[in-house]
Amino acid sequence: MIWTSLLGIVTLIGLAWALGFRAKARLVSAETAAAEASSAIPGFDAYEAAVSDDTRAALVAARDGRVALVRSFGDRFVVRLLRNAESRLEGETLHLRLLEPGFPPAALSLGHQAARWAARL
Amino acid sequence: MTFPDPVQLAIPAFIIAMMLEMFAIRAGVKGQYEWRDTGTSLAMGFGNTVAAILVGGSIVASMHWLAQFSLFEIPLVWWVVPLCFVAEDFTYYWFHRTAHRVRWFWASHIIHHSSQHYNLSTALRQTWTGWLSLSFIFRLPLVVLGFPVEMILFCAGLNLVYQFFIHTEVVGKLPFGLEHILNTPSHHRVHHGTNPQYLDQNYGGVFIIWDRLFGTFTPEIEPPRYGIIHNLATFNPLWVAAHEWIGIARDAVRARSPAGLVTALFGPPGAVTGETSDSIRAAARPFVPPIVSAASPAE
Repeated sequence: MIWTSLLGIVTLIGLAWALGFRAKARLVSAETAAAEASSAIPGFDAYEAAVSDDTRAALVAARDGRVALVRSFGDRFVVRLLRNAESRLEGETLHLRLLEPGFPPAALSLGHQAARWAARL
Repeated sequence: MTFPDPVQLAIPAFIIAMMLEMFAIRAGVKGQYEWRDTGTSLAMGFGNTVAAILVGGSIVASMHWLAQFSLFEIPLVWWVVPLCFVAEDFTYYWFHRTAHRVRWFWASHIIHHSSQHYNLSTALRQTWTGWLSLSFIFRLPLVVLGFPVEMILFCAGLNLVYQFFIHTEVVGKLPFGLEHILNTPSHHRVHHGTNPQYLDQNYGGVFIIWDRLFGTFTPEIEPPRYGIIHNLATFNPLWVAAHEWIGIARDAVRARSPAGLVTALFGPPGAVTGETSDSIRAAARPFVPPIVSAASPAE
């Protein structure tokens, strides 16, 4: 039964892949990033956002000063409030490392906005 | 009278149903899959089966041991099965409600909610650590009442098989008043939603009447946003299986009082950070599309 189950698992994963269920989420605009943050965090009143050049991550600021990271994960997004995150600016790329175990570090290429966003973290 | 294992018998049907759901979605029916998400869900289901093989025997043995103290001698006959089925579903409701309200049990159950997708593969995203959180204790009252252990396990298996088929967006609402009695795809979509008004609602397994009776029922109105409050950023099954236990250990070590320790272990999920379902509901307000001032991608 175990081998049957394993065969079933491999078949289903392969079928999902073959049928094209491998889309990658993209943040097509600042509005998209802001909407993601606002719907993921109750009470988060987004008013400003900056999307990384690769459209895979964004920073969103709320009116109350909180800043959220939105990043793509498969065909969905994950959102985290940036509290005590380590940030490092390298040129126009902002590197973020959250204290949360298991959360991968993020690198956002934000162009000339990078320094301004780094300053507010 | 002997009972088969409904879950093992249903595995081929599970596989065929998932294939049909994928084709249906690809043909335009509502729903979504993501191949790595599906892989994680199936890996969790496989691990759950392995865990059952490793520790299931001792749990069943403990149930048989307890059976010698049962209050009544309920016969092992067919007409008792429907009674046992309803009684088992009642205990499932209370297990499930506790699994959402007590972090020790949530640490195992969160695995089932950790996908941002809602499809048949999500049903198989099951815990590896149910034995650690002692989830089986919720079935012990049935043993004490006198229901035969084999019958309880059979009914529990039927319950799980039923629940597999309600993890889908393909089905809208059921006709003939079934939505009033049964836990349906619509009711269970609400249960998997993280929309503030959907948090910790619709705990029923087969019957939704328990939620209606005990005040935990919410109908599906707006589209659910699936997942957990802090959605995982990895498909790694090991992290999916262990992440909340690691969170408990971290918060337990950091606790500065006995009360803090109890909250970390047995408080409502999110109590340590102030993000319980109740506080999230209180903070929620009607969603209004935000006004965004900065253009992006970065110029």
